[in-house]
Amino acid sequence: MPLVRTYRALLVAGFQQMAAYRIQSLLWMLFAIIRPVIFLAAWVAIATAQGGAVSGYTVGDFAAYYVCLAWVSQLTMAWNSQEFEWEVNQGRLSAKLLRPLHPIHYSVVDNIVYKLTTLPVLGAILIVIAIAFNAHFRTEPWHLLVFIPAVVLAAGLLFVFGYIIASLAFWATRMRTANTLWQRAAFVFAGSIAPVVLMPAWLQTLTYALPFWYMVGAPTEILQGSVTPERAAFILVGQAVWLTVCYAVFRVVWRRGIRAYSAVGA
Amino acid sequence: MIRYGRIFRSFVGAEIKNELAYRLNFVLGLVEMLLVVGTSLGAVLVLFTQAKTLNGWTLPEMIALTGVYYLVQGGVNLIFAPSFEKLMEYVRLGTLDFTLLKPASAQFLVSTRHISIVRISDSVLGFVVLGAGLVMLGEAITPWAALAFALTLACGILAVYSLLLTLVTLSFWFVRVDNILAIFWAFTDAGRFPIDLYPGWLRFTLATIVPIGIAVTVPAEAISGRMSLETFAGMLAGTAFSVVFASWFWRRGLRSYTGASA
Repeated sequence: MPLVRTYRALLVAGFQQMAAYRIQSLLWMLFAIIRPVIFLAAWVAIATAQGGAVSGYTVGDFAAYYVCLAWVSQLTMAWNSQEFEWEVNQGRLSAKLLRPLHPIHYSVVDNIVYKLTTLPVLGAILIVIAIAFNAHFRTEPWHLLVFIPAVVLAAGLLFVFGYIIASLAFWATRMRTANTLWQRAAFVFAGSIAPVVLMPAWLQTLTYALPFWYMVGAPTEILQGSVTPERAAFILVGQAVWLTVCYAVFRVVWRRGIRAYSAVGA
Repeated sequence: MIRYGRIFRSFVGAEIKNELAYRLNFVLGLVEMLLVVGTSLGAVLVLFTQAKTLNGWTLPEMIALTGVYYLVQGGVNLIFAPSFEKLMEYVRLGTLDFTLLKPASAQFLVSTRHISIVRISDSVLGFVVLGAGLVMLGEAITPWAALAFALTLACGILAVYSLLLTLVTLSFWFVRVDNILAIFWAFTDAGRFPIDLYPGWLRFTLATIVPIGIAVTVPAEAISGRMSLETFAGMLAGTAFSVVFASWFWRRGLRSYTGASA
């Protein structure tokens, strides 16, 4: 119960802080919209040139896919690894470590607050895009039901994975390279270039084997309604496995990292 | 002019000395850039496994365009982006006073003072990718095309520079504008595809307010010999206008600057 009270207090503080930076959070939303739209435009051009469809994906399917992708990306996003690098480098982590609460809880609250405040606006923009591109959703009620655990697992997976990358900051002061590596892997494998079924076979195999697709692309396909029940089950199992693995790794890395951490400048 | 050349040379020299102290940093920056450019090319290749052309652009032309995309980014990120980031900090802290007191054009000083040497790799990689695209294209480049390319590329970078200068000038009125630059960074991504691909509103934005679209597409058109004369004339006129406007706006903003202790 004390944790509930703590969370309530942190959430209230978070919302108050957010209210002070309204415009800022709206600007950051441009990032969530531009990339899906440009790849959508590319695929629409390709599909139109080939008579309206690419390997069974129609223009409307592409529109639905990328609208869902933007929505899921926003729902699952986490920026903890960039923030953490800054906190370790500035030595600010020391103060947080002295508090009785694990630093991860502050990130969780920041994350929830940001999403709750930006989602309504993003939703409105995405509806306009969906109408403009004539999106065709194949979603059935059971898709929506499965989407809930899928998106929660995806958000959890991305968050824990981000914390693993973040923990590397205990040993290395320059984390940019690790973050870039992660971002580019996500760019290729998470589904922003194309729906995974349209990728070359060897890339598909890699995509299914790595964790990135389960963070964004997989729940996107569920929300768009393009998956069979078997594929949905495959996705959920894959997410659960990766989440378990990442959580175990995170525990080990965090415990060792705290011991290695000496606070820059201390 | 010669004097400004000398000032700029000393800025570069100082940056290089600074950079030499962090050699691993430089190597890592290079590795990052290889990752970024490699995956961007990968995205283009994935698109072309499903199509022969992208809105009339063939694969070699698209590769050349990707090269130009990184050339423009390199041009901006090498000098202007790091300088402007510092400028916003100076305005916030009031230390811009020191720059204004120096006997040289303030606009020149704030635009070129900080150089991110490692970003030369953007331009080098951009040239390599562009060269690969042109070799694949297999057509001889006429001197006229090469000249048009150089001119439009310079115009594109200048147009983007003008936008950035205008945005950071806003920091004289609003102290927190680092987020205004986010507008630019968000739209930058759209430069990776030819501008004719996009729906009307986005094409308009990328050709006028955030000119990253034309800054990449027009030089790519020029070097593959498909640019029309109207586009060329429009590019020159548009750039001239935006440079004049940004410079006027900067001087206008400077008058609102009140300094550190005021």
